[in-house]
Amino acid sequence: MNQPTTSVLLIEDNPGDADLVRLRLVEGQAPVKVNCVNRLADGLASLSVETPSVVLLDLNLPDSRGAETFRKVIEHAPNVPIVVLSGQDDEVLAMKAVHQGVQDYLVKGNLSSKHLDRAIRYAVERQALVRALEMTQKRQLEFKNQFLSHVSHELRTPLTCIHQYVTLILDGLTGPVSPDQHDHLKTVLKSVNQLHAMIRDLLEATRAESGKMRVEPRCISIRELVRQTIAMMKPIADEKHISLETGMERNLPLVHADPDRVLEVLINLVDNAIKFTPQDGTVMLQSNVVEADADFVYVAVSDTGRGISPEAKSLIFERLYQDGDSVDNNRSGLGLGLFICREIVKLHQGRIWVSSERGQGSTFTFTLPIYSLAKLLTPIVAYEGKLRSSFVLVRVDLTPLTSPPRGNWKETWQQALEILRRCCYLDKDLVLPPMGVSGAAETFFVVASTDMERSGVMTSRIRGQLERIPELQSKCTLTISTTPVELPAATAEKTVQQQVQILADCVRDMIVQNMERKPFPAAKAPGSN
Amino acid sequence: MAKPKILVVDDDPDLIRALRLRLRASNYEVTTATDGYTAVAAAQKERPALIILDLGLPVGDGFVVLDRLQSIDALSNIPVIVLSARDPQANEERALKAGAAAFFQKPADNDELMNVIRVSLSPGQQHPVPWPS
Repeated sequence: MNQPTTSVLLIEDNPGDADLVRLRLVEGQAPVKVNCVNRLADGLASLSVETPSVVLLDLNLPDSRGAETFRKVIEHAPNVPIVVLSGQDDEVLAMKAVHQGVQDYLVKGNLSSKHLDRAIRYAVERQALVRALEMTQKRQLEFKNQFLSHVSHELRTPLTCIHQYVTLILDGLTGPVSPDQHDHLKTVLKSVNQLHAMIRDLLEATRAESGKMRVEPRCISIRELVRQTIAMMKPIADEKHISLETGMERNLPLVHADPDRVLEVLINLVDNAIKFTPQDGTVMLQSNVVEADADFVYVAVSDTGRGISPEAKSLIFERLYQDGDSVDNNRSGLGLGLFICREIVKLHQGRIWVSSERGQGSTFTFTLPIYSLAKLLTPIVAYEGKLRSSFVLVRVDLTPLTSPPRGNWKETWQQALEILRRCCYLDKDLVLPPMGVSGAAETFFVVASTDMERSGVMTSRIRGQLERIPELQSKCTLTISTTPVELPAATAEKTVQQQVQILADCVRDMIVQNMERKPFPAAKAPGSN
Repeated sequence: MAKPKILVVDDDPDLIRALRLRLRASNYEVTTATDGYTAVAAAQKERPALIILDLGLPVGDGFVVLDRLQSIDALSNIPVIVLSARDPQANEERALKAGAAAFFQKPADNDELMNVIRVSLSPGQQHPVPWPS
């Protein structure tokens, strides 16, 4: 019978050991081809070119030692079985290698060709099994995700029908409705909305689990998102006579986060807090910066409910966790809300946790990375050892004529952003990344180190360039406004940092005002008259 | 003034019935189709002012319908609002690229939907406002 040739990559720096292994291999029953190298780098290079049946690996090589050696080989060729060649005295390390993905190990002193043969065959088989198992698991996960996304789609269709008919009757479009009937239908609608929320959560959790959840961070104001959350949740809180209060630190920095997603987290936490708080309680939203963790903004939602047991605290962010103690048992969901919150916060590199004492209420806190304007502005304030003091803030507003614009503006905004960048001088001007909640309209800010007179040239260039985008021409209005910012004259005691901070504060105020949709005010730099 | 005509395309006749009631109550004339082929034929015959389109349809799904509408000069300017149970993350961008004016996932908020219909039918939409100089 013709046996297939086994190709062996032998990575061994001791010529004596290498010869011995080669000899034992050739003596064996099966036809074998051996490629021997004496450095890890050469081994990895060889693996890039061809895939051997097995790698025989000495762990102590001239260019790599110990665990590092097998980790690099696994990383480089995860699908090739590896057998470690170990000395008499480092079987512990060899065992560790097996735990971390190597197939087997052999002790160099007592190699027989039968032994070696068997070890190689075993390693190849084991690797194939592990791969098959991984494939099955992956396929199962894929199947589960596909199944869930299919189910949630199929559930929506009848739900839409129920929703449509209930609202038809409620809106009085099918004839008069008695107050009692109206009340009953409202209850139906509430259940429909709950079911809808569950379907959404199911899909969202599935996405999070399969790594398909996405966030699009922008520069945003937490204060504004808290305001929106309160506006949305107030009716539910009022119904239960729960007061919603806020405690926001003054001069809260802007954060770098996806506004829609953060709003989702806030609504989820506030909804939970209301759910677990008895009548006449209080739900509090707070935000501040903690000195010990100065790169993040802390956002906390606390309630005056009965608190969470210590056992529940560690499980509460896990999928499908349910607390049986809800004061409103009929409003329990699928147990996916906090899991989704955690995944969203994690995608922003933040943390989320809960602190609570039985009977004292609980506080859910999460962190979001601060958006550092000062860092961005430093290079244009301090240029080649000189401090600049004249700046112009250019604000470019693109407002779609269609409202509410559900069209796909993303690409257009991206195009506009690139054009703005091209209209600027690299070392003088700064186009700030997109700000605020996108969608309804887009606003871009440019900080230009120039005076008002010369900024006219820049704005006409921006206008000219933007007008060339056909999408903008037909579907948007364009407004460009400029505001001068004169920093106080640099003196010995004014450090770069202070100057940058003054400008950053100014820019931040302007952005925040824009986000809160107040009319654009004339920015006034502190210290300038 | 004549009522604006809306073509509602969905393979669920029950949903069509409900939408028809709601749209009529807002003073729109309604015509319907339950599959892709009939939808394009109805658009050609009836020349609606707006189309509400489901994506999962027999005989040519919503994307096929969007393509056909775009390829026919007389129909390519009719605003199409997609109303589908499908995942927006996978379908919204595709639908908008294919020429839809808006994408709503089912079940949609009635007020929002009616608002977009109203805005899409306002005169400014058919004749884009010229770029301000």
